[in-house]
Amino acid sequence: MKTVKVTIQVNNEENVLQVKPYETLLETLRERLALTGAKESCGMGACGACTVLVNGIPLRSCLVLTAEVDGADITTIEGLMKDGKLHPLQEAFMEKGAVQCGFCTSGMIMTAKALLDRNKRPTKKEIVRTISSNICRCTGYKKIIEAVEEAGKK
Amino acid sequence: MILPQFEYHKVQSVAGAIALYRKYKGKARYCAGGTDLIPLLKQRLSAPAAVIDLKGIDELKTITRRKGVLIIGANVTLFDLKNDPIVREHFPALFQSLDATSCETLQMRGTIGGNILQDTRCIQYNKSLEWRTSRGFCFKMGGKACNVVLNAQACFSNYCSDNAPALITLSAKVRLKGLKGERTVDLEKIFSGNGKAPFTVEPGEVLTAILIPLKKTEGVYEKLRVRDSMDYPLVDAAVSMAGGKARVCIGGIGPAPRLYVIKNMDENTIRDTADKAYADAKPVANTTISAAYRKKMVSTLVKRAIKRVLKEGGR
Repeated sequence: MKTVKVTIQVNNEENVLQVKPYETLLETLRERLALTGAKESCGMGACGACTVLVNGIPLRSCLVLTAEVDGADITTIEGLMKDGKLHPLQEAFMEKGAVQCGFCTSGMIMTAKALLDRNKRPTKKEIVRTISSNICRCTGYKKIIEAVEEAGKK
Repeated sequence: MILPQFEYHKVQSVAGAIALYRKYKGKARYCAGGTDLIPLLKQRLSAPAAVIDLKGIDELKTITRRKGVLIIGANVTLFDLKNDPIVREHFPALFQSLDATSCETLQMRGTIGGNILQDTRCIQYNKSLEWRTSRGFCFKMGGKACNVVLNAQACFSNYCSDNAPALITLSAKVRLKGLKGERTVDLEKIFSGNGKAPFTVEPGEVLTAILIPLKKTEGVYEKLRVRDSMDYPLVDAAVSMAGGKARVCIGGIGPAPRLYVIKNMDENTIRDTADKAYADAKPVANTTISAAYRKKMVSTLVKRAIKRVLKEGGR
């Protein structure tokens, strides 16, 4: 089978790759670029653990073909740290203890980042609405919502 | 989950998409947002030789007004459509159905065209290949029986678009472009009523636009689901009202939505419509909740939706 040539910016680094036409963005990130922050959980677009930002929009990378995002600018959880400093969302998640097993966390943070990028001070209702895109089976969401509220204030 | 092998093509025009479809002799699938298609491929429910990506077609991404009609390009995402001021102002039933579709992240990827042409669903159908092989193939997989209803003659899978019922109440039409040219049909006419092949869309046809008469309506969308965050409807009811006339559409039960028109709104006609919708609904045990409950909820949702329209006008 023919491969497809794609050029993608991942966390501000340009990557020119030859990918399989049926390769998902999640596979490319995890297996070619060794960026294992985005997790595969359901693999069917239901849980949000694989959420990454594609041109600023949060997408479930398990439902996106790498070939589809040729030329796109992609941000993963690994790209949030700047100059050795954690992103306010990452700090707030730590401060509030919004993590248990941690499997949903990178997806939660990427979804929340997209919200904060378009709405600096979201209301609690807006945070709940946005975070409901992602499934967490441990924490009951309370601390996650508090963490996003906290990060919005920073 | 790993995808099966296929080739990938991104096209820049509808004509280019149709030409490719012809080249693959029909063994290709069009892909808009992919939120319905990719899971189907992963579960081996569809095995195309090629996926033709329609996202590069600019003309499918615009919303325009022309001669009293709102023309929505099929590739407009659900999220962008929801946030369009005209939709919010004129079509509250559609605004509410868009808002109730899945979750925000999937609304940002899913398109209105793809949402309308999503495949019908069944608890025995949307499963992995291994699961289905051990159970035995049903009608929709090319088998000889239904795995839900004993001795059934047809497929009872459910059409789960939130937005098609709302669009039907708004008298929406769809524009399709295919091997034999272009046609525009009422949205409610594209359903075959057969769950095995739910649409009368011809092979190779691309849904290019949705056309809605641009007039102010009052409306409401009501949806029954287990989790408010992202489930498909188990039953849904949309109502749009203008000039004292109302259109009511029921979805989520069986392979086609059903439309009811109310000419004079009074207590009796509301009850009659709810009763008729209840009698027409033939749910079977192919979702996570019981068929009897879904049937009861048909008349409940119709009455609830109409009551809300009359009370709040859908705001």
